[in-house]
Amino acid sequence: MSPESTLYKGKTGQWAFVLHRITGFLVLMFILLHIVDVSMLNFPKIYNEIHALYGNILMRLFEVGLLFGLVYHALNGLRVIMIDFFPGSIKNEKSVFYGIFSLTILLTIIGGVIILRPFFTGSVH
Amino acid sequence: MSILERSASRPGSTPNRRSRQNFETWSWFFMRISGLILFFLALIHFSLTHIFNDVTTTTVSFVAKRWANPFWRVFDWLLLTLGLLHGSNGLRFIMDDYVRNPRKRAALKAFMYSLAVALFILGTITIVTFKGNFAG
Repeated sequence: MSPESTLYKGKTGQWAFVLHRITGFLVLMFILLHIVDVSMLNFPKIYNEIHALYGNILMRLFEVGLLFGLVYHALNGLRVIMIDFFPGSIKNEKSVFYGIFSLTILLTIIGGVIILRPFFTGSVH
Repeated sequence: MSILERSASRPGSTPNRRSRQNFETWSWFFMRISGLILFFLALIHFSLTHIFNDVTTTTVSFVAKRWANPFWRVFDWLLLTLGLLHGSNGLRFIMDDYVRNPRKRAALKAFMYSLAVALFILGTITIVTFKGNFAG
């Protein structure tokens, strides 16, 4: 078998699945880290120092990435549930994917502006 | 035909695989239900700590004020529990798919499940024992 014949050229469903996996994995990795940083609550000085660090631009960009992963995984999860529980809805699968992906981008931009703005203006809401 | 019947009568299934498919059916169902609950828990949590409040203001005293209300302790503990279970089960699919060597896979699973249990205990202790009577 040549490599070309084994290459699976999927459509929107395949891309939705790949992105679901990657975002799910990354969100889980963040949760594991987040449990450790929150456990510093009983050492308030360390906890507050870590959270001051979250305010720098690199961590803020990371938070925007987390927002994208979280929103995409959440919305695509609803799409998966829709297809599983209402098999007839499979015929709308493609437009639903474009819909949730656009909504993910829109919410990431809105949330991203809110998350990044304090770094540039210096004021915190 | 329901999904339950379909998976049980899949060609090539042996009596030996039946109980495992039953577990996978519950796993499938759990992912949908926990996912639906996490949709609200995770998005509300992120909005409160990153959108409606700036991350630099979520200090120890911020948490102390929030956790003074037991509702938010229960909320955060549910997020911890369901997030870890949903995430670990998702990671199980990924390990089954990409770690093809049975011994490596078993070792990796043992490590990841132990890590998840340890972090569940750590997170639960944090939520239960935090007193919040610090300044700052």
